[in-house]
Amino acid sequence: MNIETILNKNLINLNMQANTKDEAIKELTDLLYKAGNVKDGEAFIKDVYNREAEGKTGLGNHIAIPHGKSDAVNVTSIAVGRTKNDLIWESYDNLPVHVVILFAVRNVDKTTVHLKLLSQVAIALSDEEIFDKLLTTNDKGEVIYLLSNKIQ
Amino acid sequence: MNIIGIAACVAGIAHTYIAKEKLTKAAEKRGHTIHIETQGQIGTEDELTDEQIKISDVVILAVDTSIKGRDRFAGKKIVEVSTEVVIHSAGNLIKHIEENIKA
Repeated sequence: MNIETILNKNLINLNMQANTKDEAIKELTDLLYKAGNVKDGEAFIKDVYNREAEGKTGLGNHIAIPHGKSDAVNVTSIAVGRTKNDLIWESYDNLPVHVVILFAVRNVDKTTVHLKLLSQVAIALSDEEIFDKLLTTNDKGEVIYLLSNKIQ
Repeated sequence: MNIIGIAACVAGIAHTYIAKEKLTKAAEKRGHTIHIETQGQIGTEDELTDEQIKISDVVILAVDTSIKGRDRFAGKKIVEVSTEVVIHSAGNLIKHIEENIKA
């Protein structure tokens, strides 16, 4: 399977301006909207916050994985953003978040291929060794590589 | 020990799979055999076999939501936690199980 179907360089911003969680989710949603993967940003963000209400999406170590399953999603995909600013985000270690990996999931996905890819990106995120690299690299290609190295 | 379990989070998109991976790595690192079934948005994967359930010493349910097939574990020792606990301290969870459940 090919990571490009869910994550590409147009969906990565390593210099986000966001100062808050809300602004980060908005900036990443804008990337998904411009790519045509999300058709209604406001509706999508509402669904992301519905998920936020159900439990922490901060993974610790400055990384967060908000996600929304939504009718507003055209293409199941991932946007990745990083900011030097400290984002306050619910997590077990209460460290500020700098890397946000936003999963956008179609409410009804006709194929499971994209969901399978998302689950394999999640597996890559179980390896904390990649966190330091995600926090420091300036190469979007490396971000894609790090998140896709468990894809079979 | 022979460990089996289920991972399932609310959305079934990410935490389910991180939890499975963390549990598997932590258990194998300490010399255990482990099989984790995932119940996610994609459906059930790596479904536990009757044999795996039969020979298991303990069942770990890393779940934030209702799961299918809980009745398969009748009579088994069950440790139920949230996916969050597993994601942040899988190693400690396995150690705790070793100390409290005699195989």
